[in-house]
Amino acid sequence: MINFGKSIQSHFLKKFHWGFIMLLMVFLFICSPFVIRSASADYVSEESLPDLTELSIEDLMNIEVVSVSKKAQKFSDSAAAIFVITQEDIRRSGVNSIPDALRMVPGIQVARIDANKWAISSRGFGTRFTNKLLVLMDGRTIYTPLYSGVFWGTQDTVLEDIDRIEVIRGPGAAMWGANAVNGVINIITKKASETQGTLISAGAGSEERIFSNVRYGGKMHDNGYFRIYGKYFERDNFIERDESRGSDEWDALRAGVRLDWNDSFTILGEIFDGDSGGRINTVTFTSPYSQIIEDDIKNSGGHVLLRWDKYISDTSDLSAQFYYDRLEYEFSLLGTEVDTFDIDIQHRFPLGERQEIIWGLGYRYIQDDITNTDILSLTPDDDEYDLISAFIQDEISFLDKTLHFIIGSKFEHNDFTGFEIQPNMRILWSPKDRYSVWASVSRAVRTPNRVEDGFKIDNAVKPAGSLLPVFPGAGVVRILGNRDFDSEDLLAFEFGVRSWFRDNLSIDVAAYYNIYDNLRDQTAGVPFVDPSFSPAVLILPYVNNNNMDGETFGIELAADYRPFEWWKLKAAYTYLQINLHTDGILTLGQEKSEEGSSPHNQISLRSTMDLKKNFELDLWGRYVDNLTGQNIGSYITMDARLAWKPSKIVEVAVVGQNLFDKSHPEFEPQFLQTIPTEVERGVYLKVSLSF
Amino acid sequence: MRIYRNRILEIIKGFLLFVAFLFVVIQPVGRATARVSLEYHVKAAFLYNFTKFVKWPEKAFANATSPIKICILGDSPFGPSLDAIKNKTAGGRKLVIFEAKSVDDVEDCHVLFISSSSEKEFFDSIERFREKSVFTVGDKQGLARKGCVINFIVVNNKVRFEINTKSAERANLKISSQLLKIARIVNDE
Repeated sequence: MINFGKSIQSHFLKKFHWGFIMLLMVFLFICSPFVIRSASADYVSEESLPDLTELSIEDLMNIEVVSVSKKAQKFSDSAAAIFVITQEDIRRSGVNSIPDALRMVPGIQVARIDANKWAISSRGFGTRFTNKLLVLMDGRTIYTPLYSGVFWGTQDTVLEDIDRIEVIRGPGAAMWGANAVNGVINIITKKASETQGTLISAGAGSEERIFSNVRYGGKMHDNGYFRIYGKYFERDNFIERDESRGSDEWDALRAGVRLDWNDSFTILGEIFDGDSGGRINTVTFTSPYSQIIEDDIKNSGGHVLLRWDKYISDTSDLSAQFYYDRLEYEFSLLGTEVDTFDIDIQHRFPLGERQEIIWGLGYRYIQDDITNTDILSLTPDDDEYDLISAFIQDEISFLDKTLHFIIGSKFEHNDFTGFEIQPNMRILWSPKDRYSVWASVSRAVRTPNRVEDGFKIDNAVKPAGSLLPVFPGAGVVRILGNRDFDSEDLLAFEFGVRSWFRDNLSIDVAAYYNIYDNLRDQTAGVPFVDPSFSPAVLILPYVNNNNMDGETFGIELAADYRPFEWWKLKAAYTYLQINLHTDGILTLGQEKSEEGSSPHNQISLRSTMDLKKNFELDLWGRYVDNLTGQNIGSYITMDARLAWKPSKIVEVAVVGQNLFDKSHPEFEPQFLQTIPTEVERGVYLKVSLSF
Repeated sequence: MRIYRNRILEIIKGFLLFVAFLFVVIQPVGRATARVSLEYHVKAAFLYNFTKFVKWPEKAFANATSPIKICILGDSPFGPSLDAIKNKTAGGRKLVIFEAKSVDDVEDCHVLFISSSSEKEFFDSIERFREKSVFTVGDKQGLARKGCVINFIVVNNKVRFEINTKSAERANLKISSQLLKIARIVNDE
């Protein structure tokens, strides 16, 4: 094992130095000559400020500027299916966690397995271990490289300090890289200069037992700002399917800091510690062959991120980022410690009048240390691996900048499958202010992870005697990783239309057809007797392979309507159809269970009203179709929030969540048989002070 | 853990070197000492131009030579762009710029630009301005409908504006037809 590590190491060092020199040369070559100033600048430097006061008003009207506000909502001009959750959306929805906020996004499935575990996915394939979604927080990847998914119970921040959450459905691989197969969720917190002053918010309720956020933001000198924050919460348990009390209550404490200097240098740091519970069904190799045990989950970690942004000209900038992230996650069947080091640079510059080029380089190094158990294990139990990536994208504008053609690709080298290329091609046409049309074709891959590579789980035990006359003893259904497991491929075709009918009505529709190949499946291997057990057992192995393929088709709609200045309505509708096929024989039925783990239809309807005397009334209704592959029925539920802001400093809110029923189930777990619980109705009171 | 440490140090060192190199080599075009939003530079010039097309009632001024007071309510997005209009005159009156933190300080202004940071505060107390001869300038689509006299909008990356003629009448302001001709005219909600 050590030899294996060393050979990667020397190989890597050679590659790195070679790449380093190449990069410098490439960089020197493309540097200065092409950095040209464009006429439609967002910013100009002070020296070059033209005196406009002598111009006539008609002349002034012909100067091209780029609206600052438009830059923030530039996504309305992007050639991809994008939805932005704003701070206002978060505040008015009354949600207390990032996963719950994602329920308002079309194309995203959010299902709570128990109080502290979620299945979140974009455009299908949702499980607790969803692996086709890239999630970032302030530029830091927060999915764990172990299974390419997110431990949603470990990711959080002071929700008031989130600026926005950008959700891109569909492949974002060309810019963001592997794992951005079906979507990218990008959580962006506010700059320290935007969170000046003190914020204290605290509350209590039936499900949100207690929670408190404290943040203080200040100024350091002329151009430096900082904030420090802390957050603590305790959440109640839910009830299990048989109406008995679950043990999935949890709590988490986190504290962090952000510093911003000169709009060019940023430091972020955070540490957290959480405890959560639940129950899990595990196997025993002798009678009774399965038992439900209390699961005690401990998670803790932290990160440090440094970013440097350099302004070069109005249409060109350069940024560099480094982060270190540590996550320790331990539950009754496995303990994991993962350290991630990541460095990235990105450079944007115009090429001539028509083109804008963005390119970037990244290197990520991951090491992990696993504590195995008899039932669940990873081999090797500690490992290190790295990922080298580069991307380039060219946006070319035609017809007075109403037609944009975007072509780009990501090139990546990973230790599991080697070299991967993920190109895409996009076109955006916005002939009028009132509408835009876009389309794209892209390829994305989901690269294998540690779990798929070398894991082993004993998932079920067939009692002694049940396999007679073949074998007298017990049979163990064992799912195994596969060193030869290959990347999953996606070829995606997308199309979208955005329209602003009047000032107060906008509609965004996206449709897609995705073709997947080499999807993960498990097929039966040759049974063998494992003599290390006493009495001996027959192992019935199922091995990960790439036998499955399939297609998905979907339509997503988001609409905003403001009948009056004081009343806003926001709707989202999702339709999804998944068809999977396997070439494998004797499988675990993965294709049917994955097809049936995503709802065909989802609806979200939000209403926010500004009432007299500084009252706010917000209602949010949701419909989620049944999951045909699981025993989960459709549900309709509603959240409501009534808030009062007697002064600038104080806000008092009463929030009711999942009001329509006492409790409802949302998802059945797979692989790890944690005992699911039902999401319960909850009410909480929250008081916020900001000064 | 220890065997990785050298390697990580190596990577970080290499990376820092590389970044330092990039940041040194790629120099800003011009100096990036102060960056000014072109959008607001243009809008500042508009503010000056507006004063030439608006006629305030006599009683809005102390005497025939007292200046036109241009107020920026809330966080000014203009940077140094207002310096260019500081020493200008319009209709024989000097322009003075006043940056106000609170809506309490702006009742004697002639032109009032409402920054997005103070939008809510302003509209909460808009009643105070109903009868006053203040040329109120909003910075977001729809604000003229809400009662401002005028608001900026950016259409196709160009600055345009909407004028609420009713608001202007209420404020007893006469707006030149030349300005009205190029504006979008809107009504109260």
